[in-house]
Amino acid sequence: MSADASAAAGRLASAAADGGVIHNIGYRRYDAARLGRAQIVRALIWHSFRAAFGIGRGAKAKIFPILLFVLMCLPAAVNAIGLALNPGSTPAVTYDGYTPQLRVVAMLIFVALEAPNLVSNDLRNHTLPLYFARPISRLDYPLAKLVAFLLACLAMIEIPLLLLYLGIVTQVHGASQVWEQTLQLGPGLLYGAAWAVLLASLGLLLASTTGKRVFAICAIGIPLFFSYILANVLAHIGQQAFGPAGFGQPSTLTSLAGLISPFTLLGGVLRWLEKAPAPGGPPVREVMQTTVGNYGPLYGAVFLVLTVAAIVGLFARYRKVGVA
Amino acid sequence: MITQPVRQAGGHPPPDPGAVIDARGLTKRYGTTVTALDDLTVSVEPGVTGLIGANGAGKSTLIKILLGLLEPTTGKAAVLGHDCVADGFVIRTLTGYMPEHDCLPPDVTATELVTHLGRMSGLPATAARERAADSLRHVGLYEERYRQIGTYSTGMKQRVKLAQALVGDPRLLLLDEPTNGLDPAGRTAMLELIARIGTEFGISILVASHLLGEIEQICDQLVAIDAGRLLRADSIRSMTQASSVLVIEVDEGLDLLQADLSRRGLNPLPYQRGLLVQLASDATYDTVRDAVADLGLPLSRMEQRRHRIEELFRADPAEQLGQTTGAASVS
Repeated sequence: MSADASAAAGRLASAAADGGVIHNIGYRRYDAARLGRAQIVRALIWHSFRAAFGIGRGAKAKIFPILLFVLMCLPAAVNAIGLALNPGSTPAVTYDGYTPQLRVVAMLIFVALEAPNLVSNDLRNHTLPLYFARPISRLDYPLAKLVAFLLACLAMIEIPLLLLYLGIVTQVHGASQVWEQTLQLGPGLLYGAAWAVLLASLGLLLASTTGKRVFAICAIGIPLFFSYILANVLAHIGQQAFGPAGFGQPSTLTSLAGLISPFTLLGGVLRWLEKAPAPGGPPVREVMQTTVGNYGPLYGAVFLVLTVAAIVGLFARYRKVGVA
Repeated sequence: MITQPVRQAGGHPPPDPGAVIDARGLTKRYGTTVTALDDLTVSVEPGVTGLIGANGAGKSTLIKILLGLLEPTTGKAAVLGHDCVADGFVIRTLTGYMPEHDCLPPDVTATELVTHLGRMSGLPATAARERAADSLRHVGLYEERYRQIGTYSTGMKQRVKLAQALVGDPRLLLLDEPTNGLDPAGRTAMLELIARIGTEFGISILVASHLLGEIEQICDQLVAIDAGRLLRADSIRSMTQASSVLVIEVDEGLDLLQADLSRRGLNPLPYQRGLLVQLASDATYDTVRDAVADLGLPLSRMEQRRHRIEELFRADPAEQLGQTTGAASVS
């Protein structure tokens, strides 16, 4: 028996002695091409995007995201059914005013539940050193998480809009009507994107402050919820105390109250960007209950500053986070 | 293995071209008060190397500098010929890192985690899946790999940590206290695994530990640091030979035994509940056996001491044994 053969026999014997578990499969090198940094970041984005919907995280993690997504799609479905049953009727749901109250509730829950999944878990489990010990840079991590969560929020907001659009254009007749719907869809998508950008960056920043999932959910949910309530209450008080804006401009309190909450802020931005109603035309729809008065540009500015500040804050957080 | 020469820092010997790790005058200070590494110059050859030091000696800091995660205050370091500050990306592609502390999410399976981290190491999706399965099999977790990590024992979690370090096919593994939290059997298994990776897989390993007795079994070389300074870097043989001691415990008659061993020229010293003698050769065992047998004492323990680094490099038994036995003297 050659030396090699006896060595192999020895290996087999030792493998058998291990209780049948053969670990000795030999080590295989990896000599093929490796991904570059950009591709690794892309892989992390895809992984985190899936995680936001509970994919790859067990059955329980999927319940809420899917439930919320279905909820967000309901108005589009109801609208499509309504149009199918009453051909020729006006769509009940608009693109830019896509059931704002439902959207507030659904997105609030989605951001509060899923942003912690993207960042808090890695903080709590001290998984970050495993990422930082790999060929990405430190800020690639928050970048990937931000892009992933932005895409997740976009999916939550824009897919229902696209379903709404599909439901409407299948019922209308003629290219001109389809084109008209397409033109209306554009601003709705843009407005949805503004929601996604602001909520994704704010949500991740708040979630990254703590590794405890429950705390992170509270850190997101409580400010978002109560600021929304407060903004609406103050706007109401403004109307009650200083009279409705029946004739001139609404009161300052009512106009500024919307700045308090991200949701009413977004509504204010939409109100500001909407074309002023033509004289004698139809009244402006109460899209988000946000009254902006003369402060429309301020809403735009606060939106920009808040979004940028949240993104900068998120990156600053990960510049400082310990590696072990 | 080396691809480019390391620039030489002033005042230090020239870099070793065959070294997997080469540190020159490495200093890391946090603020003005804390010095984690203090002018550390050391060269690590391929093979399994133990990085020995008490807690807080600077082991983890050194590893993080080697990974390019921390910048040294002064000095230079190179891993596999790549500068740690300038080429962190390359180094982290070629290096697998096993952190000291818990770092595993409990709610994913080992396969999912290791596959994902394989992708993060730059493997394409298919290769990441294959190598994750391979790595988990190498560490002995093949059957359990579809279970959530939260259900694993500490030993299994340590194996997952090792598997994720291995998944990217590294040329060098940096293992920070891999036996942390393991029971004796788990420690032995983990050490065997590390030794196998070092010898059969041909991957160089730097394994940090505060337990010399543990990793001396598997290391080719030892690097001992204390308070951020190099105590000694040498092959394992030359390092431990001069310091082997034998602990003897008897249930009764300790004084008698001490006197008898002194007569036989062993110079025993009281240590805890037993005696400590210098282990010169196998004959020492015989001498002790004869002494115990002649006195008819109930021998309860006789073993080669597992040194803890503090004892080997500092006071305690070394001081007690002193010049006469010449044990454990490292300047």
